[in-house]
Amino acid sequence: MFDRIQLSRRRFLSNLAFASGAVATGVGSWVVPAPWANAAEGPIKVGIATDLTGPIAYAGNADANVAKMVIKEINNSGGLLGRPLELYIEDTASNESVAVGNVRKLIQRDKVDMVLGGITSSMRNAIKDPIVARGKTLYIYPQLYEGKECTPYLFCTGPTPAQQCDEFIPWLIKNGGKKFALPSANYVWPHTLNVYARKVIEANGGEVVFEEYYPLDQVDFSATVNRIISNKVDVVFNTVIPPGVGPFFKQLYEAGFLKNGGRLACVYYDENTLNINQAAEIEGLASCLDYFKVLTKENPFDAKIQAAYEKDFPGNFLFAAGSAATGTYRGLKLWEAAVKEAGKIDRESVAAALDHAKIAEGPGGPAEMVPGKRHCKMKMYTAVAKGGNYEIVARSNGLVDPKEC
Amino acid sequence: MANAFVAAFEILSFGAIIVLIVLGLGIIASMMGIFNFAQGEFVLLGAYITYLAYAKGLPIWAGMVAAPFVVGALGFVLEALIIRRFYAAPIVAMLGTYALGLIIREAVRGLIGGFYLTVPEPIGGSIDFGTIHISAWRFTIIVITLLVMAGCYLLLSRTSFGLRMRATLENPALARASGISTPLMYGATFAFGSALAGLAGALIVPVFSLYADLGLRFLIQGFVAVMVGGVGSFIGPVAGAGVIGTLSAALPWIMAPVVADVLVFVLAIVFIKFRPQGLIAGKGV
Amino acid sequence: MPKSMSVVREAIAGDEADDAMAERVAAGQAREQVKAGRKVLPIVEGVVLIAALVAPLVLQDYLTVFATRVIILALFALSFDLVWGYAGIMSFGQALFFGSAGYGVALLARDLDITNIFLVLPAGTLIGLAFALLLGGFLLLGRHPSSVIFVSLGTLTGSYAADRLARGWYYLGGQNGIPSIAPMSLGGYEFTEGPAFYYLVLGILVVVYLLCRFLVRSQFGLALAGLRENEQRIAFFGYKAQHLKAIIFAIGGAIAGLAGSLYAFHEGFVWPNMVGVVVSTQVVLYVLFGGSGTLIGAVIGTVIVEGVSFWLSDNYRDIWPIILGMLLLLVILFRPLGLISFVLGERERVGSFGAARKEKRNAP
Repeated sequence: MFDRIQLSRRRFLSNLAFASGAVATGVGSWVVPAPWANAAEGPIKVGIATDLTGPIAYAGNADANVAKMVIKEINNSGGLLGRPLELYIEDTASNESVAVGNVRKLIQRDKVDMVLGGITSSMRNAIKDPIVARGKTLYIYPQLYEGKECTPYLFCTGPTPAQQCDEFIPWLIKNGGKKFALPSANYVWPHTLNVYARKVIEANGGEVVFEEYYPLDQVDFSATVNRIISNKVDVVFNTVIPPGVGPFFKQLYEAGFLKNGGRLACVYYDENTLNINQAAEIEGLASCLDYFKVLTKENPFDAKIQAAYEKDFPGNFLFAAGSAATGTYRGLKLWEAAVKEAGKIDRESVAAALDHAKIAEGPGGPAEMVPGKRHCKMKMYTAVAKGGNYEIVARSNGLVDPKEC
Repeated sequence: MANAFVAAFEILSFGAIIVLIVLGLGIIASMMGIFNFAQGEFVLLGAYITYLAYAKGLPIWAGMVAAPFVVGALGFVLEALIIRRFYAAPIVAMLGTYALGLIIREAVRGLIGGFYLTVPEPIGGSIDFGTIHISAWRFTIIVITLLVMAGCYLLLSRTSFGLRMRATLENPALARASGISTPLMYGATFAFGSALAGLAGALIVPVFSLYADLGLRFLIQGFVAVMVGGVGSFIGPVAGAGVIGTLSAALPWIMAPVVADVLVFVLAIVFIKFRPQGLIAGKGV
Repeated sequence: MPKSMSVVREAIAGDEADDAMAERVAAGQAREQVKAGRKVLPIVEGVVLIAALVAPLVLQDYLTVFATRVIILALFALSFDLVWGYAGIMSFGQALFFGSAGYGVALLARDLDITNIFLVLPAGTLIGLAFALLLGGFLLLGRHPSSVIFVSLGTLTGSYAADRLARGWYYLGGQNGIPSIAPMSLGGYEFTEGPAFYYLVLGILVVVYLLCRFLVRSQFGLALAGLRENEQRIAFFGYKAQHLKAIIFAIGGAIAGLAGSLYAFHEGFVWPNMVGVVVSTQVVLYVLFGGSGTLIGAVIGTVIVEGVSFWLSDNYRDIWPIILGMLLLLVILFRPLGLISFVLGERERVGSFGAARKEKRNAP
């Protein structure tokens, strides 16, 4: 019996390598088959719906890779409830219409037991209905977002505004200044985040000089830059996303914002987005996330995950927290713990167990679901970009409460 | 005062970019009566070629110089193979060039995979006048645009090639009777229009970053600019581009960007309705 | 030249005395072709109808959901065929009416909790009609007749401007759109995706299709056909070409609005792309492929393009848009009348009017 498991594992790994190669070249919706399909109740099907193409593809592909890594690891240690895990990945293509169609495939054709995915809030909003309401399936959303998502059977494993702002903004005021500008992309995440951020800014003695919203494809920010400079803004709390963020930071740099002592702050900036601009243009940019790669120097577990990821997936899709990669890892591990506790795979039992699931080790530290709230406590870190790399300048005391629902 | 100067500069630089793109569109529309729906994608190609050069380690200048020639050559080939068949029916031409644009756009999307890629500016940094900083590169774009416009004008009004082009524009039958090869003229015109778009793409890629939908956003603005300016002359589209570019860049300074966006188009359409010939009617340079 | 002459002659002849002359003129041309052509269209329509009726029974559930979406898009394409294929108005902004109706009913559902099918579908149709009257009135009416280019550009710009507005207006959800729209209801019953919704949509499509058929075979349709062939001539006959165009444009907008409201409830969300340029040009693609000016061509074109896209996107995700573009280019270059011209004669495409009635009278 031991021999059989060894053989199966080797065969599975070679299948996985081939399939990874196939996915890396961008073949459409695909499946990682598990060799124990003859297990009594069949495999447990995990659905991933993420942006494999489109402007957020740098994050989506990282998430898909993390999912493959975690599923492989779980299958290697004997699967879940004695059954192998099968992964079904669909592309949401940063296009809500396409996403809904592809998510329907996961639910109706592949009949997955759980869906994890969606990166932007608009994507989450578009696909949560087919998954949770019409599809009656569990949905885990892994990305940092604006909060207020309290739909039953929808669990969030990424940072919330409370986690990203409560300690970050006071640090910004101390290390930047009191005058804040809130240039934002015009969609739900910046709108809702700014409401929370404004509260914290003003509670700590800061001042919001202006708050503006731009179309997502706006690339000319001369009016905004001018307003920032002439109002002598200290901290630009930015929620403009690609494609606008690159030109925006560049134009800000050219106008001399950083030279005059200004600080950039952007809560989704991670290792993946560092490459959008030249290092000089984002020098000193501060971000607050649940994980940074530099943590691998001090935490052995983080080093292990990072190394495993980079070995299987060398290339441009980095394991980074602003790209939902850490949230994906956390979500899958919490789900695994919940399934083990429930002993069953139906939505009710797993959701009940997931409600209070905990993992002792995760990227950035342990994680705990807050019972009844479907959101997750985690450690938060503030880091600053220096010469193209991040340096941690502040950490939370233990796990931070998400304060949602 | 400083504000006004910076504002004027930014408006001018954005206007210059629109002018470059629209110039090609206008020349093709005036000469051959077809609206080239693929013009935006020629801009994209210019940007992509520049990026390719940079990614392969060549100096960005090389890519920027190569782009108009490559795109122009492609335009010439496309005209000979495909566009030529559409001259009789402008509507079919619009659809055909749209299909062409779709092919080009999706091909580029397949090649760059939906990312937003950046290219550093060949002339970086800023020019400082006291407290005013203006981007050196955008200043260069304005200069290059002015040079290109001057060059086009000289080409069309002072050279024999330009004379032949104008003749074909004003009276194709007579031109043919006089021995001018109209197919060659049309091919050259299309190539020239595409080359201008390619140049525009090459120049703006450090500013706007490269992504697959880059062309679409300029296409509509370009069309509206051509109609506002008036089809049939050289100055017409330039004037239209100037107006549209200026409005698009100036209005966000005084109202919310989303309203400004829409207002430009509404104003343009209303204007065209009441003055269908555009700002500058009449043919010729 | 001869073709338009015959149409004009038929326009004069109609039901009146010169039937004999019309018959002689028509007979002088390919009468065999007329007879043969007359028979193909109903066959094509019948085949498509039967295939559509049987589809949910043979397809898996999620494919039935996909088919429902295709039928709704076919309804949308029908509206465009009416406007372009029959009246010659190149409306590059048809999605404006489609999407506005979608947004309208989404807002009704979200803010006023109205989801009753007998309220929301008429509401959507009216919204489409209203926008089409506004835009059509502005673009088409006026002292000087507007050029084709102006109308197409005007509609394109209208669609683009609506897209930018929807993207920027937070009340409409901005770039996110409005998600999680409650299902359409009738009393206690909720229309969720599946065979029930499919048959509902199919029924609506059939009814609208028959109405359109009736419209284009009527006197009004005659005038439209004349309009498309030679606008000046029709104007010389005393028909107010501009008004005709505006009317058909409004009807097209109403149908697009109906399709848009169905789409919103079926997909469960609306977003700015629904009013934008991409969807506008997609419907042009559908009709071009299938064949404009035949009504059934619009339906067939939609089914083929969507079906092929669906299959290709599964297997050749990266290159299927390129393949789609190439197919479209080939159709435009070599078969501008669309795929249906493989089976339908030219005469049938325009629609036989006077001669057909003559034929019926002569049938034993």
